[in-house]
Amino acid sequence: MDEATATSTGPQTGQPGTARLPRPLRALFRVWRSSLRVRVMTTTVVVGVLGVGLLGALLSGQVRDGLFEDRRDQVLTDAAARTEEAQERFDSQIAANVQDVQDVANDVVRSLQEDAVGNVGVLIMRSPASQAPSDLLLPATDRALAERIEPELREQVRAESFQQWQSVALPSTTADTTVPGIAVGSTVTLPIVGEHEIYFIYSLATEAQTLDVLQQVLVIGAVGLVVMLVVMAWYLARQVLDPVQSAARTASRLAEGQLTERMQVRGHDELAVLGSAFNDMAHSLQDQIERLAELSRMQQRFVSDVSHELRTPLTTIRMAAEVLHAEREEFDAAHRRSVELLKTQVDRFEELLADLLEISRFDAGSAMLEVEDIDIRDVVQDVVSAIEPVVQDSQSHLRVDLPQRDCRASLDRRRVERIVRNLLVNAIEHGEGQPIDVRVGADDVAVSVVVRDRGIGMTAPQAERLFDRFWRADPSRTRTLGGTGLGLAISLEDARLHGGTLEAWGTPGGGASFRLTIPRRAGLTVTDHPLPLVPARDAPEPAPQHTAQDPAGPATVPDLEEPDVEVTR
Amino acid sequence: MEARVLVVDDDAALAEMIGIVLHSEGFVTETVGDGAAALETFRSTNPDLVLLDLMLPGMDGIEICRRIREESGVPIVMLTAKSDTADVVQGLEAGADDYIPKPFKPKELVARVRARLRRQDSNGSEHLQIGDLVIDVPGHRVLRGDEAISLTPLEFDLLVALARKPWQVFSREVLLEQVWGYRHQADTRLVNVHVQRLRAKVEKDPEHPQVVVTVRGVGYRAGTPS
Repeated sequence: MDEATATSTGPQTGQPGTARLPRPLRALFRVWRSSLRVRVMTTTVVVGVLGVGLLGALLSGQVRDGLFEDRRDQVLTDAAARTEEAQERFDSQIAANVQDVQDVANDVVRSLQEDAVGNVGVLIMRSPASQAPSDLLLPATDRALAERIEPELREQVRAESFQQWQSVALPSTTADTTVPGIAVGSTVTLPIVGEHEIYFIYSLATEAQTLDVLQQVLVIGAVGLVVMLVVMAWYLARQVLDPVQSAARTASRLAEGQLTERMQVRGHDELAVLGSAFNDMAHSLQDQIERLAELSRMQQRFVSDVSHELRTPLTTIRMAAEVLHAEREEFDAAHRRSVELLKTQVDRFEELLADLLEISRFDAGSAMLEVEDIDIRDVVQDVVSAIEPVVQDSQSHLRVDLPQRDCRASLDRRRVERIVRNLLVNAIEHGEGQPIDVRVGADDVAVSVVVRDRGIGMTAPQAERLFDRFWRADPSRTRTLGGTGLGLAISLEDARLHGGTLEAWGTPGGGASFRLTIPRRAGLTVTDHPLPLVPARDAPEPAPQHTAQDPAGPATVPDLEEPDVEVTR
Repeated sequence: MEARVLVVDDDAALAEMIGIVLHSEGFVTETVGDGAAALETFRSTNPDLVLLDLMLPGMDGIEICRRIREESGVPIVMLTAKSDTADVVQGLEAGADDYIPKPFKPKELVARVRARLRRQDSNGSEHLQIGDLVIDVPGHRVLRGDEAISLTPLEFDLLVALARKPWQVFSREVLLEQVWGYRHQADTRLVNVHVQRLRAKVEKDPEHPQVVVTVRGVGYRAGTPS
């Protein structure tokens, strides 16, 4: 992805699909995704609140309706009785004139008002059909209440002969709020003035108060229930998730190699079963690993012991061979040749033994570096001059290219010499007498040695197996320079011991190239090699240095023509 | 005079072969295969050099080395199959002068034996000063004031090598060549261990050496004469 694309899409964090959410929501989403506990608790709380809310609403509705209906029935009965009483009183009066009617009406209204419970007002209103003179002052306990009576009720009262009722809002005595009430209307017939409407207004303040108290209780109960739910959810989540978390912790410790780590098992429930199953697994893993480790230790120990035990007889054999060899001129041809063979093969045997022992040291992890601050150019020069006789015998030619700059690094001289010697011997053996290039390079973090031959080369699968123990590219090919088959394997281990790398490249018929890279000091990470493994003119375009992107491992060198031929290690 | 070499090795074949090789080079050899009998044989034969196998039945080579060193400064060369283990350092610390890792060539063996039997040339009455010590080279004595300090021949050679060139810092490799006679690279632990042993004998305070001074990263040099 190039830079333009990267900036146009903007910073991309979080999981795909959440990218468009605002940041806090994304954080919440992450928490939601990552914590089972949060999910369980959130779900419980949401479901709990909804359930309790619904229940509360239903309950309070039911109670309200029940209260209201009870009160209404009571009110209606009361109003009916009073209407009847009023009618009786009106009927029993013999009114002479309107003033008499007025007095009676006032009297009736007052008495009706006085002995009624929850009755806030009584009013008599003129029926539009009445023929009463307009100077009758219609009595009412509170004239303001007349406004509260809706015209619909009055129409109903006039239309129906039976008593009618309506819910009204009454002004509260204490504040600006209103309290619910019921207005009940019916008709009475007054003397002289004829039919009038009579209204009783009842307050439901007591019921409203009861309902309020009830609702408060319900709310408190609901909150309590929700809190309890949260606690329960938390506790349950803990009960179930804690062992799971502990299992996860234990598993990761096991993975880190702490094989004695176990889960705590309490009780006999399902989680205890999980715990003990887990522990059984850990136990059997530990057993297996320890057994394997023990086997591996025994095997390494055995190799080491065998190598050492072989040394004493080998010493005797070798000394005997040398003594005979020194006198070979006095033997006849067959014996002389036998003695020569004996000596060379004893030497070879000894090399093999030394290499085996060296490998067993690497396997046992007992190989130690003895580093000094050495210029790798000196090491290369020493090895080159030491190997000069072999070079001349093979009629090849070493071209050594040493840089001007300082190539010091923390090196174990013995091991680095051994690597370089192995690479040179290998190049001479497979170089077919063609010139061999030895190059040394350095940058700020690492030093490199590249040995390039132009011999038979190798294929990719061969290059992959090159550092395997006792591996031969061509089993029918003899080792002219001896060699134990362990040289490159040991060299690779030596390079690794330095924190460095040893890589090989080759093409069939095109020769091979080996690159040793060692960091200048322990702990430095080599991201780029001072020298290319593949010489520039052999390399396809683009330049084959790709190690910068992959510090963890050597790069594969792409070859557009033969993609499977060039391989590095 | 023919030098006598005591070969202490439980492997009869190897001991015999060593005998053959040393004999052909003009040494007289005596062989003992049992560790327990080694000390007795050592006392009775009074050899000029001991070749000692580290792994022996009876008494192990390191113990024998320590016992011999208690009563004699005779050169001791260990034969060892495990050159990379602590055995070598233990042997050197017990007083062995040098070691030969198996399998060795006859030439190597003879060269090591000769190197340890070779005496430093001393002309006339050479006296050297190192630190607060005086070395009487022909008399093979080291004196602090009037007090003589007993050193093994190897320790003496090491001290003389340093004292002869007090202006020079000796790397371990140079000391290996001059004192032990190694022409090629060898085990620098030889130098480290023997410098420690030497210091334990000649220094007043081995923690703060005045005679054999360490030059960090390079090697050792002689302390300034006082």
